[in-house]
Amino acid sequence: MATRENFWRFALLAAPVSVFAVFVLWPMFDSFRYSLTDWNGFDDSPRFVGLENFRRIFTDPLFFNSLINTAIWMGAALAVPTIGGLALALLLDSRVRGARIFKSIFYLPICLASVVVGQIWIWIFQPDWGLLNEAIRSAGHLSPKQFHWAWLAEPRTALACVILAWSWQQTGLNMVIFLAGLTSIPSELLEAAAIDNVPDWKKTLYIVLPMLRPATAVAVALSMIGALKTFDILYIMTGGGPFHSSDTLALFMYNESFQKYKMGYGSSISVVLFLICVVIIVAYFRQVGKLGEIYD
Amino acid sequence: MDPWVILRRCGTAVLASALILAANVAWAAENEVTIMHYFTADIGGAGLHPIFDKFKKETGITVVDSPIGHEDYKTGILVRAAGNSLPDIFSEWAGARTQFVVDTGKLEPLDALWAAQKLDSVVAKPVAASATIYNGKRYLIPIGYHYAAVFYNAKVLKDAGVTTTPKTWDEFVSMCKTLKGKGVTPFALGTKNRWPGQFWFDYLLLRTAGPEYRAKLVAGKASYTDPEVKKAMALWKDIVDAGFFGENSNADDWTDAADKVAKGQAAMTLMGTWITGYWTQNGLKAVEDYDFFDFPTVDPSVPRVAVGPVDGFVISAKGKNLEGAEKLATLIISDVDLQINWAKTQGALSPNVNVPTSAYTPVMERAKESVATAAAFNFNYDLANPPSVADVGLNMFAKFMGGTNDINALLEETQKEAADAFKK
Repeated sequence: MATRENFWRFALLAAPVSVFAVFVLWPMFDSFRYSLTDWNGFDDSPRFVGLENFRRIFTDPLFFNSLINTAIWMGAALAVPTIGGLALALLLDSRVRGARIFKSIFYLPICLASVVVGQIWIWIFQPDWGLLNEAIRSAGHLSPKQFHWAWLAEPRTALACVILAWSWQQTGLNMVIFLAGLTSIPSELLEAAAIDNVPDWKKTLYIVLPMLRPATAVAVALSMIGALKTFDILYIMTGGGPFHSSDTLALFMYNESFQKYKMGYGSSISVVLFLICVVIIVAYFRQVGKLGEIYD
Repeated sequence: MDPWVILRRCGTAVLASALILAANVAWAAENEVTIMHYFTADIGGAGLHPIFDKFKKETGITVVDSPIGHEDYKTGILVRAAGNSLPDIFSEWAGARTQFVVDTGKLEPLDALWAAQKLDSVVAKPVAASATIYNGKRYLIPIGYHYAAVFYNAKVLKDAGVTTTPKTWDEFVSMCKTLKGKGVTPFALGTKNRWPGQFWFDYLLLRTAGPEYRAKLVAGKASYTDPEVKKAMALWKDIVDAGFFGENSNADDWTDAADKVAKGQAAMTLMGTWITGYWTQNGLKAVEDYDFFDFPTVDPSVPRVAVGPVDGFVISAKGKNLEGAEKLATLIISDVDLQINWAKTQGALSPNVNVPTSAYTPVMERAKESVATAAAFNFNYDLANPPSVADVGLNMFAKFMGGTNDINALLEETQKEAADAFKK
């Protein structure tokens, strides 16, 4: 009986584990292997170069540029969609008229493909006829000649614009996570606070937010992971430009690998990105675990 | 039921399926030719589908088509190569990109095919010499070539009182000043995807320093900080500072710039002859609505060089249907009717010497004449340089059009990056 159970256990796990091994582990180890070579994607026998690619990374100003942009993106990802999603959830959790409709509207962007979101915001940011410049010109009574800022073509604003577009999409997802978290708050706590005439802001600060810790952990983790791996919306909107001003590690890796045909170097960037992700996520969940001990 | 019985039955089913699949794959390999290319959308289809249809009629072989957008193609073909799944035949730009693939040993030499099909008498000699031979062997079958020139809106120039097109740099600057004085933006340039800027650099360098110097630069034997490059960039900066270009070039791609010229929002754009295919598709007529002139002479002692890409097809050395791929390549270049259709739909010039000049619009006929009478034909910057170096240059052009004032610093940065790229 135990043998039969074990057989089925392994048999049923074999398929998903095999898929994971083939599509995740094998490419991962292959990347590690290629990071030690000068492979250009075409050669059958790439030359082993040891740690040369990694030495190059740490002297490459474009790497540090993309690292800084990735850090900025993560900071913005923690702030904008997380706080925005929380604010929307708190607003819509109350008995506001039409709350259901508003929840659906705010959730819609996450149902769109990132490529579509990117294209929508490209049109919004278009300097000649885009919605943003038209709105600014209308408000300031300016002519197209007086104001035609090219949001995505200007290094000073390109990254912020892409982050805004991405945040617009992510906020709805975080809103849903926080709404789910709000339903798990015991109503007796809030009722007790109401009986004691605790002001709303204190209820939110001292009861709601602490009780939302699990939901916050999920929302922040998803935002951070999303920020680290974001590629599609960035590729569509700016391609990492202009002049690498919106280059993140993921896009930098792609450009080095597929535009410059430096697959070995690109693989080494992917290894570094992987290690950064592991460090951040392990540190984050350790911190979340500690907070959990405090609140428990 | 005994689990081992289940396993045995599953294993038998999997094996049987694999055998059937293998048989199908073998049959498909004989009756199919897989092709990958960057001729997409209606324009691309209009040129290629008649070729595929005729090929199927004549040989019974189906062409399995994988079109990918122009810029994404550079990535797509690399992904196929990395996965050892190159198609039987695929498009490449003649020049450094084909050289790059030739050097990996993944391409089939075509000398035997060339001799057997007597392509020496079919392909124009300058194109054959510059575009098809790598490391002493033939690897590329050209399908068409383009010429970069100054294309203009005929009505805009006429309304501004410009009756003759410039031959010299001074005449060119004078014409631009006239247009600006009449409230017309002289040039539209769309450098969102970076590459359109290269034609300005190419021509200014070729018209001042000449083709020998440029050959050294693209081979890494000259420096971006040389006086020759600084002179070319200084000329470019003069006309940018004079306000001859529209705003926000980096926000527009080449079709946006082409649309601005078509709508009369700008007078001219420096672009390849494929713009004629785009404009024709949008209802514009050659000569009546648009025309072109050669990039003007700057230094009369420097020979006039024509710049443009040559599109071609190469054959994979390990494709599943080598014979089919060679037959398709032969049809592509040898069939005069298909070449005429290709030239008309793509706004291209045919490398087939048997295509009559009557097949072209008057504009394209003169473009062909301009190339034929040029001292040399050079591939444009991003096809003359290895991919990693081309990337550096394209960034420089986009940065320049983005408003860099310190040209020397820009050139120093470019030289450093180009030198690194040449080393690796």
